[in-house]
Amino acid sequence: MRAMARWIRADLRASKARAVVIVGVVAGVVLALLLSAGLLQGATNPWQGLFTATRGAQIWLHLSPGTDVSRLRRQLRDIEAVAGPYSSTAASVVQHGQRVRVELRAMTPVPPAVGRPLMTSGGWLTAKSVHGVVLDASFAQAIHAAVGSSLVLDNVDETARLRVRVLGIADTSDQGFYPDQTPGLIWVLPTLLREIEPIAGRTEEVVGLRIANPAATNVVVQQVVTQLGSSAVGTVSTWQQVQQSMSRRDPLLGLLLALFGLMALGAAVLAIVNVTSGRVLLQNADLGMLKTLGFTPVQVMGMMTAEHAIFTGAGILVGLAAARLLTPLLLGRVPGVSAVAATVPSGWAGIILGGTFGVVLLATAAPAWQAGRVKPIAAVRSVPPRGHLSRLASYAMAARMPPAVVLGARAAFVRKLSAALAIGGLAMPMLMITIGLGFWATLDDVQRNPADIGLAARVTASPGSLTPAQAYQVVSADPQVQSAYYCDRVEALVPGETTTITTLGMGTSQQPYPFHVVQGHLYHAPEQAVATEALLTSLGLRIGQFVRMWFGGVPVTFQIVGRIIDPQYGGEVIAYGRDTLADEGAPAPIGFYSLILRPGVSPATAAARLTRTSGGRLDVAVVPNPADQLGIVRAALVALIVVLAVIALTSLLTASLLGYRDHERDVGVLRAMGLTPLQVRSALMARTTVLALLAVVVGAVVGRLVSTSLISAVSRLYGLGSGIGRPPSMTTLAAAIGLAIIAAAVVGMLPTRPFGRLPRVAVLGP
Amino acid sequence: MTGAGSSGNDGRLLLRASGLSKTYTGDGVIVPAVRGVDLRLEHGEFVAITGPSASGKSTLLHMLGGLERPTSGEIWLNGERVDKLSQARWAILRRRHIGFVFQFFNLVSNMTVADNVELAALMAGASRKQATTRRAELLGELGLAAKADAAPARLSGGEQQRVALARAMVNRPLLLLADEPTGNLDSAAAMAVLRLLSRVHADGQSILLVTHDLRVASAADRVVSLFDGMIVDDAPMPVKQRPTPLPDVLKLRG
Amino acid sequence: MCEYEGQWREGTTFMRMPLLALLAKEPAHGYELKTQLEQLFGEAYPTPNIGQIYVTLQRLERDGLVRSQDVIQATRPNKRVYELTDAGREAVVSWIDATSEGPRIRDEFFMKLALSELSGTSDRLGLINRQRRHYLMQMRSLADLAVGADRKIPRLLIEGAMLHLQADLDWLQRCQEEFM
Repeated sequence: MRAMARWIRADLRASKARAVVIVGVVAGVVLALLLSAGLLQGATNPWQGLFTATRGAQIWLHLSPGTDVSRLRRQLRDIEAVAGPYSSTAASVVQHGQRVRVELRAMTPVPPAVGRPLMTSGGWLTAKSVHGVVLDASFAQAIHAAVGSSLVLDNVDETARLRVRVLGIADTSDQGFYPDQTPGLIWVLPTLLREIEPIAGRTEEVVGLRIANPAATNVVVQQVVTQLGSSAVGTVSTWQQVQQSMSRRDPLLGLLLALFGLMALGAAVLAIVNVTSGRVLLQNADLGMLKTLGFTPVQVMGMMTAEHAIFTGAGILVGLAAARLLTPLLLGRVPGVSAVAATVPSGWAGIILGGTFGVVLLATAAPAWQAGRVKPIAAVRSVPPRGHLSRLASYAMAARMPPAVVLGARAAFVRKLSAALAIGGLAMPMLMITIGLGFWATLDDVQRNPADIGLAARVTASPGSLTPAQAYQVVSADPQVQSAYYCDRVEALVPGETTTITTLGMGTSQQPYPFHVVQGHLYHAPEQAVATEALLTSLGLRIGQFVRMWFGGVPVTFQIVGRIIDPQYGGEVIAYGRDTLADEGAPAPIGFYSLILRPGVSPATAAARLTRTSGGRLDVAVVPNPADQLGIVRAALVALIVVLAVIALTSLLTASLLGYRDHERDVGVLRAMGLTPLQVRSALMARTTVLALLAVVVGAVVGRLVSTSLISAVSRLYGLGSGIGRPPSMTTLAAAIGLAIIAAAVVGMLPTRPFGRLPRVAVLGP
Repeated sequence: MTGAGSSGNDGRLLLRASGLSKTYTGDGVIVPAVRGVDLRLEHGEFVAITGPSASGKSTLLHMLGGLERPTSGEIWLNGERVDKLSQARWAILRRRHIGFVFQFFNLVSNMTVADNVELAALMAGASRKQATTRRAELLGELGLAAKADAAPARLSGGEQQRVALARAMVNRPLLLLADEPTGNLDSAAAMAVLRLLSRVHADGQSILLVTHDLRVASAADRVVSLFDGMIVDDAPMPVKQRPTPLPDVLKLRG
Repeated sequence: MCEYEGQWREGTTFMRMPLLALLAKEPAHGYELKTQLEQLFGEAYPTPNIGQIYVTLQRLERDGLVRSQDVIQATRPNKRVYELTDAGREAVVSWIDATSEGPRIRDEFFMKLALSELSGTSDRLGLINRQRRHYLMQMRSLADLAVGADRKIPRLLIEGAMLHLQADLDWLQRCQEEFM
């Protein structure tokens, strides 16, 4: 209707500030939700996007050299295409005195048809650059290498050392993200491979199989292993494994952001309802006049709703544009997530946008209905309901508390619904900020005490070119090393699983590695094992049960005696004493030392020392602390806290404006009664501050109570077990509360400035 | 029903109220604001309702305009029964057929003067062009054309009330209801508004207004006096007679 | 409360001081004074007839405030010219300097209302209504007068009367509240 449109237009012109606030809040929420969805998508299914983009292979086999794969394709109908065989060898990248294990894979300058790495920067291998290499993106990020960087490559016995240049960086769906799945992948020219590792026996053949029916993967693997002979097959990895590996670390992040995004939506809705119903109260007279002019209640409600729909729609568009802009910038920084994989599928985007629109509109339905019910007697201003000077207030006055403060505090509660909304609108953000601070404190704690999440040993040392005995000498001689445990990492086949799982022989049954045990106990005898929750779940095991595994053909039966926390290997770890394997006669592969450092020693320093001491022959690596990679979480927390603070400020401002309006009528009377202008201002400030104080304290208390259990629940999901949750420290909380009160006082002071200048009589009036 | 004739013929009545009452109950107190009022208004008549404050004048007016629901009684507007209409139906009625002027002007504060006047026209179904034309016409007549784009807060009390009158008149309503239109104005502004009211009345507008101002009341065709919620007097004012006997009030005492 | 000076004499008393004031400017005769009065007060002021003026002048002379003199005119009948005496001048000065009473309280109506209780006559409402209608008529007449008045003095006079009438109405309503 033309008249409705006219009113909406005029109102939009007149209330620019309110429009900006609502649009901003909605845009912020949409941005947060889209980013979380992107991350969630990047986390839950980065593999899918990459697989499609790289035309990947579902099965990858590491075969001993000389295996003949030519007949595979013919004999197995399910195989669509074969990638490779590519020669591959183990090597190390030497950087900053540390050695990082890598796999060099030889490919030709012509990118393959199947399993083609997706260039994210730079270019592919070229015959012109013999010493040019291409790095896997996740690996490159981990070692901070970029296009043009120069790396030093060592072979396994360190007999050859080469300096190479990074030509390009690419994403691949062949294996999981580094450092989840080690070693890091580097593509090189065949000539370079031969240069590094001329001994043919040390290379493996890597073959990728692309099959038509992904569901038949397990069947195909069994057929292939049968065909080629299990002695020829080193490791097998399937797409399920890769997908799982790629998705393992990030659910924490995605979950966090999704949680926060939804809570931000809740807080935003509260803020918007606050702003809107405050505005209805402020505009009571005008709305009544509209009714007198002849707008029906339905029309008034419709006008308000239409206006809010416009705001919300604008906010959604702005949020969408911001998300488009910021996704590649922000999400590209998350380790292991490529911007390609992090695009939000249109279904999700539709749900987010539609859902936000619906939720916000629904939330504003209540104030809109309120507006529709305004009585058409236009002459009535919005008079605050009669309040009584409560007994509490009378006592306070009698106790000589400043009258201004008492009046202000009492005035805060005259409008019950508004007070409730204001308190809710402030308490919610405060609650979430407290939880956010709890997450921050937990991250701090985990970084400081990685032993709490099971990272006892921060440094590993492989003997490299030394004998194990020599290595032990070097390691134990180092004053910064508290204890060293010799560990084996062995792949084992579990029946029912088509892929091998990584098992660890850490220390011996008499001297087990000090895992962080949460249930049961460590292994004290051979054939006892402990495992993480994630592994137990994936194998369907419980404490006390037995499991049989094959180590290179030798079956070993373990009894699960304990549940541990260990974030390595994606949180799926099963460990036992090394003597178990020695007893059973299974071949013991080359192991490494897990070094537990003295408290306070930085792993990087210790690693550098060890490398120096051993003359570079000890292969030292720092075990990455997952908490280090959660830097993006900190950034996200900061951003969310800012958004929440803005939302809280909005609620505060509305409450303050309402109070100002109600107060306006009383100011003249108060001043005539003898309150100085300063006291009048104080009364107003007191009103806002009391509301804020109540809200903030409630939010902080509840937040503190809730944050520990929330973090524990989340970390349980992540496989870290419960118990790592830390509440925010009291000083932090006190600081946050103090800041909030100051902000409230400042905001409460803002509208009062005119009061200092108004002549006494002017405010008294109808 | 006979044809055109003297007053008392229902066919010519614009407004008829019978047994109109309004009782407020709240906080355990019962307040009978209007008690059994009968009122008639003919087309083109100007009736003033006077009485002390708390006599129920404003309540009566509000009921006749659908702003309050009567506790009992009937209201007939132009031959149709309207007291039991829903808020929505009343709103539609007010849009086209009733113009309102209040003591405190009540212009919509976030719209310009022009928008305020045009809004009423648009609501009655005028096109944008028609609304603009009519608005320009009215504001011009009132001498407020220059202030068309101003915010209401910037106008003086008298100007705001004239704008309110323009808004009420923009659709040439059947009935103009005014609640203490000069109550908040100084003497000069009040005279201006009164002159305006007389002029529109002379043009044929039916007016029902509530006032405590004797000057305004004396300009009406009929003055109804309300006391304690009931009508105590219904005084027709004579048409202009000549020669006017000089009021003895003018004689100076020595 | 109600001073019962008891005067509603029609007549000439209300012209005494104005005539003295006019004569303070310069001596004049009867017709001149009448013209001056008309010019000054216009239609708002009841035009006094010449007879009333002469009677007032004679009374003033009797009281020693003016003295008269016959002026011989050649072609016309003699006219009597009046002028102020010293006493008259003094009277004018003290009249201007003294504070003035407002128009007297119209207490006849109030007497009727108050006495109706004692005398047992009912229809107080009728009494009140009649008085109100009277005020309405008077206001209507004043309004009609105001239309033609374009000079400052008549206009102010009318406005003053209107304001008084409003006050009378307000008082009437108060009486209604108390008596009904």
